Amino acid sequence: MAQVESKALLIPCSGIGKVHGLIAREVVYRVVEELFPGRADTLCLALLVKGDEQALAAVRSHPCITVDGCPRLCAYKNVELAGGRIEQSLRVVDAFKERKGAQPGTATALTEQGWQVTELLADQVAAQVRRLCPEEA
Amino acid sequence: MAEAFAVLPCNGLDKPAGALAREVGLALREQGGALICPVLYAHQPARYARVLAGQTVLVVDGCGTRCASRLAAAGKLRVARKLLVTQACKELGESPGEALELDAGRLALARRLAAALLAAPPAVRGPQEAGFGGPVTYGQVRHDKFIFRVPTQGYFFNENNCWARVVGNRARVGISDYMQQQLTDLTYCDLPALGAQVEQFGEAGSVESVKAVADIISPVSGQVVAVNEALAEAPELINEDPYQRGWVAELELADFQSDRELLLDGPAYLALVKKQAAQYHP
Amino acid sequence: MAEEEIKVGIISCSGEDLPAGTISRLATRRVLELLRPEQTVTICLPLFLAGGEGERAFARDFPTITVDGCAKQCAKWGTEAHSGPVSAALVVADLLGGDYAGQRSSRKLTARDEQAVALVAARIAEQVDTILAGTRTGKRAPGQGEEEP
Repeated sequence: MAQVESKALLIPCSGIGKVHGLIAREVVYRVVEELFPGRADTLCLALLVKGDEQALAAVRSHPCITVDGCPRLCAYKNVELAGGRIEQSLRVVDAFKERKGAQPGTATALTEQGWQVTELLADQVAAQVRRLCPEEA
Repeated sequence: MAEAFAVLPCNGLDKPAGALAREVGLALREQGGALICPVLYAHQPARYARVLAGQTVLVVDGCGTRCASRLAAAGKLRVARKLLVTQACKELGESPGEALELDAGRLALARRLAAALLAAPPAVRGPQEAGFGGPVTYGQVRHDKFIFRVPTQGYFFNENNCWARVVGNRARVGISDYMQQQLTDLTYCDLPALGAQVEQFGEAGSVESVKAVADIISPVSGQVVAVNEALAEAPELINEDPYQRGWVAELELADFQSDRELLLDGPAYLALVKKQAAQYHP
Repeated sequence: MAEEEIKVGIISCSGEDLPAGTISRLATRRVLELLRPEQTVTICLPLFLAGGEGERAFARDFPTITVDGCAKQCAKWGTEAHSGPVSAALVVADLLGGDYAGQRSSRKLTARDEQAVALVAARIAEQVDTILAGTRTGKRAPGQGEEEP
């Protein structure tokens, strides 16, 4: 029987140089603030890398979902290094392989297309949160 | 086409080019090809194990998303020939049309495309690994936080930031580190068709990111004898390793002695990148 | 290049957990895109921390400003740990007079959030100007554009 968790931790890379980093960030906010407040939370990746005790304890005691912008996988690598249990790892750039010609915006602001991709990825993450942290928990 | 073959068309339901691709697949089936349903193959590839055993595959894509090519790459199928409907129509001066339902004219076009695909010379001589491996020595240019690498030997460049690496009578081509950094994360690589004749400074495919689409301008002339199928699924290989694992196509050279006169060697291209980088502002 | 060009690297924490992290990020982008586009470069902190060669080399050789959301100052810590001392360190909470309660998602920003971004961006730009004015004695690149074997 799958282990039922109280909360999932969603960690985006928040890469500042590319639109993918902004989308990663917004995907997490969509899930944490709107779809599953209370069942999903986030934490600062930089704090984790810094070795903050609370952040380390959090990723080690909750299932983690990393949302990276690009194949450099900064969030995935650092959560793994910190001993976090990664249940799902997404790369925003992969969503654009199915959307030839898409223009999602910039690292500062998303276009409508960018928000559509955000919603789509948020749904994927939400499905995983739903599986990990069912309502009855 | 003498040997037995299987046909893998894309499943484009929402585009006229996809409808044409399906019709090409059906026409090829009439010519003896074993038809593979892309959706079933994607979900249960084992169902086609017997059909595919020992057979080469003809891949028919409707549009540049190249879903069928990607499936073939993921399944490591032995692809003999490929057809990209949108590109083939353009070469024939035809159009895939506006409607999903195919009229008599489009049905005839599908049969023409199928016949052309069967008649095309097979080009599965495959990539020539020997000679293209081995270590590469790089020079580099720094600009702000960017480091642009350029191989100093064995590579030739054009001013479109594309390279050719020559070994014997073959060359691999790709885009430079400077170009891939300008484009950032690549989401598509449109590979040139196997067997295609490419002129020097002609197009040998294209790459796309969320920032831009860029043609790959071949530094050399020749016939495409192999393409890097891995890029269909993982175009990011070009970002990660633009000069080796990110090679795009392999050409049998037509006249490298002449082509070479118009190309830059590593040090000369390094100087060009230095000049270009000074204007670089992402 | 006739004279070496000095640019200032800005490293934002982009802290996901706090609204101040969003302010830090947007203010940095504003400086890069609008206020000082020719004089600044932004460094991606996650990439920097994960070992980005270009990012760390830049921060070693050029002046840097870190912009952190809160007193934990992750960007300052990371830069000092991997590249060396920073030229200026800003903390959004200090600039805005305490812990900032606002929106995290860019889609929900209020007029107050936009004002906060503008204020922090202006402070960053001031630091850029101060650093560049003093660059005769500041960090210089070993040779930007230099060809290395």
